Amino acid sequence: MHLVQRRAHEFGVRGVNPDAVTFDLAAAVVRKDAIVKGIISGIYSALKKNKNIAFFTGHAEFISPVDIRVNGKRLTTEKTLLAVGARTATVDIPGLAEVGFITNYEALTLEYLPASMIIIGAGYVGVEFAQMYARFGTKVVMLGRAPRVMPHEDEEVSAVLADVLWAEGIDLYISAPVLRAEREGEGKVVVAQIGGEERRFKAEVILFAGGRIARVDELGLAQAGVEVERHMIQVNSELRTTASNVWSIGDANGGAMFTHRATYDGPLAALNAVRGLKKKVDYRVVPRAVFSEPAVASVGLTERQAREAGHEVKVGKHLFAHTGRAKAIGQTEGFVKIVADAKSGEIFGAHILGAHADILIHQVVTAMYNHGTAEPIAKSIHIHPTLSEAVKSAAKAIGAAPVIQTGE
Amino acid sequence: MEKFDIAVIGGGQGGLPAAHMAANLGAKVALIEMREVGGT
Ligand SMILES: Cc1cc2nc3c(=O)[nH]c(=O)nc-3n(C[C@H](O)[C@H](O)[C@H](O)COP(=O)(O)OP(=O)(O)OC[C@H]3O[C@@H](n4cnc5c(N)ncnc54)[C@H](O)[C@@H]3O)c2cc1C
Repeated sequence: MHLVQRRAHEFGVRGVNPDAVTFDLAAAVVRKDAIVKGIISGIYSALKKNKNIAFFTGHAEFISPVDIRVNGKRLTTEKTLLAVGARTATVDIPGLAEVGFITNYEALTLEYLPASMIIIGAGYVGVEFAQMYARFGTKVVMLGRAPRVMPHEDEEVSAVLADVLWAEGIDLYISAPVLRAEREGEGKVVVAQIGGEERRFKAEVILFAGGRIARVDELGLAQAGVEVERHMIQVNSELRTTASNVWSIGDANGGAMFTHRATYDGPLAALNAVRGLKKKVDYRVVPRAVFSEPAVASVGLTERQAREAGHEVKVGKHLFAHTGRAKAIGQTEGFVKIVADAKSGEIFGAHILGAHADILIHQVVTAMYNHGTAEPIAKSIHIHPTLSEAVKSAAKAIGAAPVIQTGE
Repeated sequence: MEKFDIAVIGGGQGGLPAAHMAANLGAKVALIEMREVGGT
């Protein structure tokens, strides 16, 4: 949609009138639902085939450390593995509940395209939905409380990503805490504190993309002796909770809230619980991505985090603007940055903003898994012309003179 | 009243592989999900 509307002409495609291109959100939702349905039916058939699994539909609640109530029925179990996930944090903005808002969940089920949307939160959920709706044609205002978007990522990633979002017409405000929400006629108003002033934003829909907390509502954790602290289930390195017969995995424990972390935790906790093993989780190398366009992907420490941890670091960087393939596909924004130990050369982390960053990060992930240096990436032959040459160039640049950011 | 070796609460991204692993290790598993499987 975005490519057709904004870039077809540049690539020599004729006969497309950008102003005549329209987007049918309901059709896109139908397509998405069909894909999800296929995945879900695959999950159910795998469950049916596994004779040792009995599936229950309903909300589970502990009534004792070994008894669980589901739909008025009682199950007795020696051990329990919690995989309850996270939900959007309870809204603490005065007036917002009364005015009405949606979360990421409803944002994927809208049947008509809102003309305008205010997104509260500039983390990855906020960023992904802001760009998606802006590209669909909604006028998007984004309000982030922190001084930059994606505040846990590399500073330069935040800065370039903010530029990209601005350039696409998203009204992005950072250091913009929301004070309250109000009704104004048919519209919804959000008041934010920006640069010492109160500013009012009006829109049809408000999307609350604040933090996420463990989904432990009415779970009866106190009956089981499972402790929750700062909205997260407390576990040790073997994923065992404060109750000796209960383990917990995934988002509900906090930390890296990603599917690939939950699918790593699951089997490990099951082995510990069922076999009585003492396997420990190793979260040293957990990559993460934001599916914006250009995408963001990173692993390990940022340059700042590595320095703050007392390390002497060297950094290698390469711009996609200097990468042949990026020029060919017209996606030259962004860079690859690799942070390594100045003495041993061991990689501390990598930060990529650019086309297919989510794929490119993996050669650094593999190197880091073995406590490796960037040398094999720098020395191995990479296919030309690919975007992975940018990763190789960044690896080669480690310890070299810093790259001067050019205008492009 | 049914008895199980292990109950897995949540049939999302982590609960599903956990339930399969526990079952494949021979445990009698109760997997409980309040919505659709798949999570989030
Ligand atoms: C908008 C959005 C985009 C995301 N994009 C990505 C992405 O691109 N890549 C990525 O890796 N991760 C992404 N994530 C994160 C990812 O979805 C989670 O990290 C992952 O689902 C966590 O798995 P989990 O098993 O811990 O929890 P979930 O998958 O959320 O599963 C928890 C399940 O437990 C059930 N449950 C909870 N309490 C009970 C109860 N008492 N009784 C019965 N059932 C219960 C819930 O209904 C739910 O199905 C995204 C998340 C959001 C919100």
